[in-house]
Amino acid sequence: MATLEVRQIVKSFGQAPVLRGISLDIASGQFVGLLGPSGCGKTTLLRIIAGLESVQSGAVLIDGRDVTAVAPEERDIAMMFQSYALLPHLSVRENVRFPLRMRRRGSRAAQLARATAALDTVKLAHLAERMPAQLSGGQQQRVALARAIVSDPKLLLLDEPLSNLDARLREEMQVELIDLHRRLGLTTVFVTHDQEEALSLSDRVVLINAGRIEQTGTPREIYSDPKTPFASDFIGSANLVAVDIERVPGGSVARLCAAAVLPVGETAPSGTATLVLRQEDLLLARAQSAPPPPGTLRAVVETRIYLGARVRYVLRVGEIRLKALAAPNELFEVGDALDVTVAPGRSRLIEA
Amino acid sequence: MVRGVPPAIRWFARVFVAATLVFVLAPLIVVAGVSVSASQFIAFPPNGLSLRWYGAIFENSAYVKAFWTSLRLAILVTLAAAVFGTAAAIAIHRRRVPGADAIAALMLSPLILPTIIFSIGLLMLWSATVGPVSFAALWLGHLVVTLPYVVRTTLAVLADSDPFLEEAARTMGARRWQRIVHVVLPQCAPGVAAGAFFAFNISFDEAIVALFLRTPDLVTLPIQIYNQIEFSPDPTVAAVSTLMMAMTVATIALIDRLFGIQRFVGT
Amino acid sequence: MRDRLEDLALAGPGVAVLAVAFLLPLFEMLRLSVLGDDGGATARHFVRFLTDGYYLGVAWRTVHLSLLITALCVLVGFPLAYVMSRASPALRLWLIVLLILPLMTSVVVRTFGWMVVLGRGGLIPWTLWKLGLVGRNFSLMHTEAAIVVGMVQVLLPFTTLSILGVLMKIDRGLEEAARTMGASFLATLRAVVLPLAMPGILAGSILAFTLSVSSFITPSLLGGVRLPVLAASIYDAATRTLEWNFAAAQSVILLVGVLVVLVPYARLTGRRRG
Repeated sequence: MATLEVRQIVKSFGQAPVLRGISLDIASGQFVGLLGPSGCGKTTLLRIIAGLESVQSGAVLIDGRDVTAVAPEERDIAMMFQSYALLPHLSVRENVRFPLRMRRRGSRAAQLARATAALDTVKLAHLAERMPAQLSGGQQQRVALARAIVSDPKLLLLDEPLSNLDARLREEMQVELIDLHRRLGLTTVFVTHDQEEALSLSDRVVLINAGRIEQTGTPREIYSDPKTPFASDFIGSANLVAVDIERVPGGSVARLCAAAVLPVGETAPSGTATLVLRQEDLLLARAQSAPPPPGTLRAVVETRIYLGARVRYVLRVGEIRLKALAAPNELFEVGDALDVTVAPGRSRLIEA
Repeated sequence: MVRGVPPAIRWFARVFVAATLVFVLAPLIVVAGVSVSASQFIAFPPNGLSLRWYGAIFENSAYVKAFWTSLRLAILVTLAAAVFGTAAAIAIHRRRVPGADAIAALMLSPLILPTIIFSIGLLMLWSATVGPVSFAALWLGHLVVTLPYVVRTTLAVLADSDPFLEEAARTMGARRWQRIVHVVLPQCAPGVAAGAFFAFNISFDEAIVALFLRTPDLVTLPIQIYNQIEFSPDPTVAAVSTLMMAMTVATIALIDRLFGIQRFVGT
Repeated sequence: MRDRLEDLALAGPGVAVLAVAFLLPLFEMLRLSVLGDDGGATARHFVRFLTDGYYLGVAWRTVHLSLLITALCVLVGFPLAYVMSRASPALRLWLIVLLILPLMTSVVVRTFGWMVVLGRGGLIPWTLWKLGLVGRNFSLMHTEAAIVVGMVQVLLPFTTLSILGVLMKIDRGLEEAARTMGASFLATLRAVVLPLAMPGILAGSILAFTLSVSSFITPSLLGGVRLPVLAASIYDAATRTLEWNFAAAQSVILLVGVLVVLVPYARLTGRRRG
């Protein structure tokens, strides 16, 4: 296990800037997720940490040692590629043994023993003699994982570890990765575009957008306290509404449009702002009285999408559309009038 | 066949394909037929059957000598073509040098530019700089002709391989030469082997370079056959030719058995 | 940039062999073609070729026979490729192998085979004689027809496989759609398949033509001394009359002819691929 420090990394491909000054401090044993949309630079950052890409400026330090100019094979890391990159001409056991062989760690017998032990850890010892082509996708990934941990690397790097898996395998793998991390305590950095993956696996999430770090924090912090419009939009499925903040006796309200006003807890300065309403934070009830009660929005159901465990509604409030996620116990029809409230303390205001 | 093809067309298609195959293979079958002819005249169908012409090959010292020359040449050419061709293919595939495309074009150009031109040029250049034509000159000429085949088949196999294997190997601690030996070469292997088989076959059968780069002492089997055809053909020629064809068929069968010929014929 | 050095080292030997044994000889031929007796530059050898009716005849024969050969290769190759593209993978593989077989045998072997088939008493003259069309001693050897037949046999795979490659990539749905729109099978072939197969036809034709124009052994053995093609004329000048400069000039003319066909085609396809 090792610490990882990334200092002011600037990287361009030709004229196109990809990373615009990234700095990170990762403590030993942390499980860190680099989260962001396609093209944000997260995979490039991972490859830079691995040594597979050069940088225009900046530094990478592993355990305090500047490795920016050091080749990947000398960095004592392990990387699991999105496509697993298993060597097709070697058996599973030989694949797992490969890092030990390349680094000349111990005798052949010792290497084979460690390889078998790593395979035991991922519960694939019974397939040790098979060739990669004979394995399923999930099994191939386990082999790639065993191969990554066998050499006890300073740093474990994972590129989109769950993206290629179907829903069921993804859940299994999630549990396994967390379990593995708990047992081995390797400093791990992984890349994903899937916020659920990031939130479920990480000790710490680093949100990256257009080559810059938007926000870092624990999964809880990122989820409940997004600090920028991008963060709010990317994490959770939020409605972002342009509102006017008005002072009223007792506090402030956010005016969405003519007859739609919501109380906002904070005393916010008057003016325009963006109101962040999570889809799952909107509470829906059938409209009772003619004018909506204070602190409620009157909405009309425009579309209903049944998702099994939940139902998504697209609601119309005046000119504004809001998306809401609700439980399926009471189903509303298209055209129904609803009273919409926000769960207490769950509305957020951010700069416009 | 696509449903809804009129039966007349289907029938025509069958006849057409059969006729084409007959056209394409007839000369080869005829040669095999002549080789077992009992009479010393070259005629097909042969009158009477006999294997004596096969025996006659081994009594003809010119043929035997030409065979060994061709064999030695083909083996040495194949070894060099396999090594140089593979190395070049790897460099071309990686596309890390700015001239990768130019190198590829150069390595493949002997396939489409007239062989006769560089053969004569090589003869003249060799005579002017090194001296009388020797085995080395012929080896060089054959190398030019066979290298493109190794490069082509190896590139085809590399194109299908996982592009991340080398990077993965780096993250596993593999240094430059380790990556070549343990990752890249195993990836290329089927392409190299097929290319080598093609190279061997082509060198053995080659007749243009060998026509120019020869001396009375340096005659390959195809050229010996060529001489016989021009001056005194008898069924021995057919027998030798049939043996050469058998070797070709065996080569194809071997490639198919080991790697599956679909890979290189691209269906 | 150790990477670049590594790759240059890998490509080095192969490139060196081709530079020394292929490019250098080509340049040497270029040099010899303009070398005068006095050591200076001259266009004499080219002039000789271009002003002598005999040699122009040789060039013309080479070109027009090659055009004919190419045309036949396409005419036979297209339907053949279509049938192969619609056949089962196993059958297709067999057909490909059988088609390539002549290519993989030595040129002397297959030419010898044609000599037997086309010569006096050979299968074809014998059949024609039995049909009462020709005399007993008829031979097809040493005719332009013999050259065409021999060359088509070996160049057919080039056009066929080129067209096959393109046909395999054509969406089958297009043909079916045309049929549902009322086109007959042949009309579909003409209006849908043929235009889409054009790139393959073109590529195969270019290849077949350049290989045909450069060909030596088959035309010489099947055509005889009275019907020389350009390559045979080069051989003659180089080995019999020992007019090396003239042989070089003819070689340059052949090379230029081939490049004139290849280079525009390469540019065209290169540009399309962006």
